[in-house]
Amino acid sequence: MAQDAQKPQKSVLLRTIATPLILTALMVALALLTLAVGSRPFNQTMIDIFVRVILVVGLYIFVGNSGVLSFGHIGFTCLGAYAAAWLTMPPMMKELSFPGLPDWLKAVQLPYGPGAVLAALFAGVFALLFGRVLMRLSGIAASIATFAMLAMINTIYANWESVTAATNSVVGIPIVRTIWPYMIGAIVAIFVAWLHAVSRFGLALRAARDEPTAALASGIDIPRVRLVAFGLSGVVMGLGGALMAHSIGVVTPDTFYLGLTFITLSMLVVGGMSTLSGAVSGVVILSLLIQGLRWLERGVPVGNTTFALPGGLQEILLGVVMIAILARRPNGLFSKEFAWPFGARDRRGPALAATQTVPEGDA
Amino acid sequence: MFRTQLMTSLSVLALSLAPATGALAEDADGNIVVGFATAETGFMQAYDKPAQDAAMIRIDEINAAGGLLGKQIKVVNADTKTDRAEGAKAGLSVLDAGADMVVVSCDYDFGAPAALTAESSGKISFFLCAESIKAGIQGVGPHSFSASVLAAVQGATMAEWAYTKKEARDFYRLLDTSYVYNKGICDGFDWMLPKLADATLAGEDVFKNDDASIASQISRIKALPKEPDAIMLCTMMPGAVSAIKQIRAAGINSMILNGSAVDGSYWLSAVPDLSNFYVPVQGSVYGDDPNPDVNAFNALYKEKTGADPATQYTYPGYSMIDVWAKAVERAGTIDADAVVAELEKMDNEPTLFGPRTFTSELHHQNKARYLIVETTAGKPGVIDEWTISEPVPMDALMK
Repeated sequence: MAQDAQKPQKSVLLRTIATPLILTALMVALALLTLAVGSRPFNQTMIDIFVRVILVVGLYIFVGNSGVLSFGHIGFTCLGAYAAAWLTMPPMMKELSFPGLPDWLKAVQLPYGPGAVLAALFAGVFALLFGRVLMRLSGIAASIATFAMLAMINTIYANWESVTAATNSVVGIPIVRTIWPYMIGAIVAIFVAWLHAVSRFGLALRAARDEPTAALASGIDIPRVRLVAFGLSGVVMGLGGALMAHSIGVVTPDTFYLGLTFITLSMLVVGGMSTLSGAVSGVVILSLLIQGLRWLERGVPVGNTTFALPGGLQEILLGVVMIAILARRPNGLFSKEFAWPFGARDRRGPALAATQTVPEGDA
Repeated sequence: MFRTQLMTSLSVLALSLAPATGALAEDADGNIVVGFATAETGFMQAYDKPAQDAAMIRIDEINAAGGLLGKQIKVVNADTKTDRAEGAKAGLSVLDAGADMVVVSCDYDFGAPAALTAESSGKISFFLCAESIKAGIQGVGPHSFSASVLAAVQGATMAEWAYTKKEARDFYRLLDTSYVYNKGICDGFDWMLPKLADATLAGEDVFKNDDASIASQISRIKALPKEPDAIMLCTMMPGAVSAIKQIRAAGINSMILNGSAVDGSYWLSAVPDLSNFYVPVQGSVYGDDPNPDVNAFNALYKEKTGADPATQYTYPGYSMIDVWAKAVERAGTIDADAVVAELEKMDNEPTLFGPRTFTSELHHQNKARYLIVETTAGKPGVIDEWTISEPVPMDALMK
């Protein structure tokens, strides 16, 4: 970045900062709207959306920049959620649920903030370990290997009775129902993703995605730049997992498996896998669509009668809408980053411009 | 181009937000409100719906008889979609709609998020039919109860009954480790077995609910010097059917003891002419309950819902409203702490489906009267009833 700053042009940071700022404004607007509505279920819905934003942005850091579809990232969410449980539950309840934890860990009881940060780092360390091996693969082999990793993490967490309570629900995790920590988490995730995307690692990774041969010839160490993205996205997924645990207060291994994997991936793909704006708006739009359809399922009074969709139609309509979106826009809703809608002539700097074209068949 | 995109996305946002904002209306017309944060869709619906229908029958009866504390009971619903995150939202929805008591999903895992929201608002929560000790004080908090009976009581009941009434001595323990419920049944069996003089464990084995074949487990049973008198089968649907079918197909004719989860005749056609098969139930869905009031309830249930109850898991919903309403009546208020105190005073409180006891340590049944249903030639019917000689102690429950 230092070299970039010396060019006569504005630095890449300045040229692209509009994207995270617009997305942050969107997050703040959603939080303020929640305050204005003042209903607890609505608050919980928004918390859910913020958690999903963190998860999908985490996915984007790796999938969007590397072009390798990962089915395994929810595994890091699982690691983060359980780490948050280990760190924040009262020692007495830990003794009951996790008798096999080391004594020092049983004695610890952190507030949720530091707990979530440590949980995120814990997930990141594992992402680096797994990444060392997985990042040497590419294409479909890498995708399947990430899926194998998810299955492995799930199997371990569903069976290691003394440390994860196996398939039992873990309760006693402090529940946090104020919206701010989740909003801050989402904003942090957005900025991390942006900083990574405009850094040399992000640029090299996208170069490797679009032209692997040319990237190699230019001296890019592909496994290494992928590993950086994998580790970083592991941290963000872990943060999402920790906050998810605090939003419901219960964790079980099957929460972090195929269901969550596919909903987060579809949010990313529908929104636009190659852009940060797409990742965030995919979550917001699909979540609001889901909520809107649920609301219609419950019934809307129209004059004297109530109009209601049959139960279960929400899932079907959601599928139909997703197909329609992808048929019209195969690269997702937003294949260009958000930028200031006025003035700025060079609003799409070269760094992010590279994120905006996905070669045919790479999605 | 880009401007239009942003505008479109913003208008999509605005449109989708509009409905959500006006969704909840406040009601404060002096009614007592029971909130059902249960599954109306998804697989838990099959468990929640019958118990909820039974609860509604009791609520209608109370309202018809003049209500509770002179007020009518009003019901509000929110769908958990058989999803934990939605469960928390459903709990908050019914609380915001003024629920004084929150009824949550049958299963501990799926009911807990909603129950935790009720607990943090200081309201009573009732699990419709959860059978884990966690569904109550231990896993939610001091305002949480379960309407059913602990799984361990079912295992203990079957062991003691088979020992006493069928003179079973050699028991074989076959555990499906997929679900906590199954472990609960076998925990109760494990606690009871050493108390039965000269009863022995001929062997034990485990399998998984989705195992396509349990051939290796069956060969180990066949390899025993003598066929065991009874097999304690701790499992549930859908794996139970396949396991039972394979055991019988292998020519093992030992009596098979189960938990209540395999009650019902809906699956019996899959194992034609099944015999020597025993299930504990809180009430009989086969029209032969020794208590004529239960048969009258079944008729009423059929009239309201169009079908007979499919399994005994319909009944806890009715007992739940029954004991809760009695406690409210005795407390003279719907204040949660006062009602909890009254519930905890209940000692063998009679209900249509057996006596119920709650204490300040346990908001669940560690001892209960069970009817024993025997299936002979594919036909289930009540043959006996049994109450375990002593309650299952805490340390056996907390395993």
